[in-house]
Amino acid sequence: MKASQILSALSTALGEKLKNYELRPREVGVRQKWTVEEIWAEVPREAIPKAVATLKSPGPLHISVISSHDAGEAIELLYHLAVGFGTEGGEVMVTLRTKVPKTDPTIPSICGILPGAEITEREKIEFLGVEFPGIPRKDHVFLPDDLPVHPWRRDEPELGKYLHRMVEWEKDNESKES
Amino acid sequence: MGEVFEVPIGPIHPALKEPIRLTFRVRGERIVGVEIRAGFAHRGIEFMGMRQGRNLIQVLYLAERICGICSVSHPIALTQAVERAAGIEVPPRAQYIRVIISELERIHSHLLWAGVAAHELGFDTLLHLTWRVREKVLDILEELTGNRINYAIPIFGGVRRDIAPEQYPKVWEALRYYRGLLEQLLDAFLNDPTVMARTRGVGVLEPKEAEEFCAVGPTARASGLPKDVRQDRPYLAYSDFAVKAITPEDYGLTPIGDVYDKIVVRLLEVGQSLEIIEKALEDMPEGEITSFPKIPALLAHLKKAEGEGLGWHEAPRGELIHYVQLVPGEEAPLVWKVKAPTYSNLLSWRPMFEGQEIADIPIIAACIDPCICCNDRFHIVEGSREKIVAKEELLRLSWEKTRRISGQRGLRDGGKG
Repeated sequence: MKASQILSALSTALGEKLKNYELRPREVGVRQKWTVEEIWAEVPREAIPKAVATLKSPGPLHISVISSHDAGEAIELLYHLAVGFGTEGGEVMVTLRTKVPKTDPTIPSICGILPGAEITEREKIEFLGVEFPGIPRKDHVFLPDDLPVHPWRRDEPELGKYLHRMVEWEKDNESKES
Repeated sequence: MGEVFEVPIGPIHPALKEPIRLTFRVRGERIVGVEIRAGFAHRGIEFMGMRQGRNLIQVLYLAERICGICSVSHPIALTQAVERAAGIEVPPRAQYIRVIISELERIHSHLLWAGVAAHELGFDTLLHLTWRVREKVLDILEELTGNRINYAIPIFGGVRRDIAPEQYPKVWEALRYYRGLLEQLLDAFLNDPTVMARTRGVGVLEPKEAEEFCAVGPTARASGLPKDVRQDRPYLAYSDFAVKAITPEDYGLTPIGDVYDKIVVRLLEVGQSLEIIEKALEDMPEGEITSFPKIPALLAHLKKAEGEGLGWHEAPRGELIHYVQLVPGEEAPLVWKVKAPTYSNLLSWRPMFEGQEIADIPIIAACIDPCICCNDRFHIVEGSREKIVAKEELLRLSWEKTRRISGQRGLRDGGKG
């Protein structure tokens, strides 16, 4: 499937909710030139499951990862998906950008549509405090279970205190040190 | 049917090195479920890259140290992401050199894995044979880069070292060496009845599961999914080599997605990498190896850059992807996200383990080639009674099973004596 077809499928399904979309082709190869296409688009958080389901229908759909950062008032999430592996040069990378406000950092889980998104969604819970209603498991993947801060937030007042203990983090240390 | 017990394995090493905890629910010898807990080796590398005052070149060397085995894969993905964000071109010769180094890395990584797999099964002679022949590719990497691992070859805009004319014959000699060995390795691994008995139908990942859980690399390809980033969305000079995803079908087998198929795929990929390197050496373009020979100029360019980019690479274990966002006036990236192949393959462990025996844990854990590893000890908890079993114990169970199977088949001792 071509990037332009995928983009029009997204646009039909989401209508005005699909914003600031663009194709960013990249030229690769030295002797055998090839254009690898990438789609970048903005979607409001409630439309993410529909967008993912739309991408899955031509399929096969792969999720690489959800990138994220603290953008001040909101947390920006970038869903890096790839549509259509198995064909030479035929896979299209689709990045869906969305924002969740820090006052209500929730976004519907896409695990029901794409179970492979579980680890990357759980990672966002522990690192940024984003909630994913509908996710099958919420346990931490990388950080200690009882770490009370979200290290990728830029407004965590207590972060510095915990950073130095990231390596040998144990609750017991607290009482021993104080 | 008996009671279900919990068997936590880890946070220690179910396969190679590095810690992870797998909590198994077992009924008798059968595994009925597994929970995976990673993070015991979490070093906060992305945080260090974004928030601790490093410039992008320092971040590049940090990225190289995410993993010792994939030590050229991470820089290749990161450099591409930054080059996209900052609008930097890479000269053709540099692209070819990146391809050659990353394929050499794939050979060494797959041979390393094959040796570990042999060890987990109790075939230590095969482990030593595989690791002895792996030395040759490490020697070539040392010859070309100065190091056996951590090659420091990619830099934003190109590579740091050229391949000199006098080095070509040495690389060709190594390629011929592996060409001659490949058949022998395929025979040693794939035609041994005991290896077959221990790996056929063990740790099966159905194609549907591989697709749903977004498995990558040889783990996905062994289940018959033709999923290879070098083929699906080519990058660098990979479109020149018309890479095709290798599945067990290339060896005339119907993919099952078990451990055996994973051996098949990885060994065939050693041959594929040899082909790519041969073609790259023959067609190597002349010219510059970097578009920024002066580091201060590169740093100044990166500091002014604004934008975002994705860089991806088919690492030996599968898809690796880096995302960066650069803002002008800042030396460090505003956002840096790293996704390594094992991150995508963790979920695939669940269906692979279910229904298997405890003695198969080491080989199944090893079969996705996890970048987190080895059984130091494990606890069997039964009510208030607790038994601690060492890594050696778990390996012993695996070896005993091999011996038992060899015995039943009336073969010579294939397992650990």
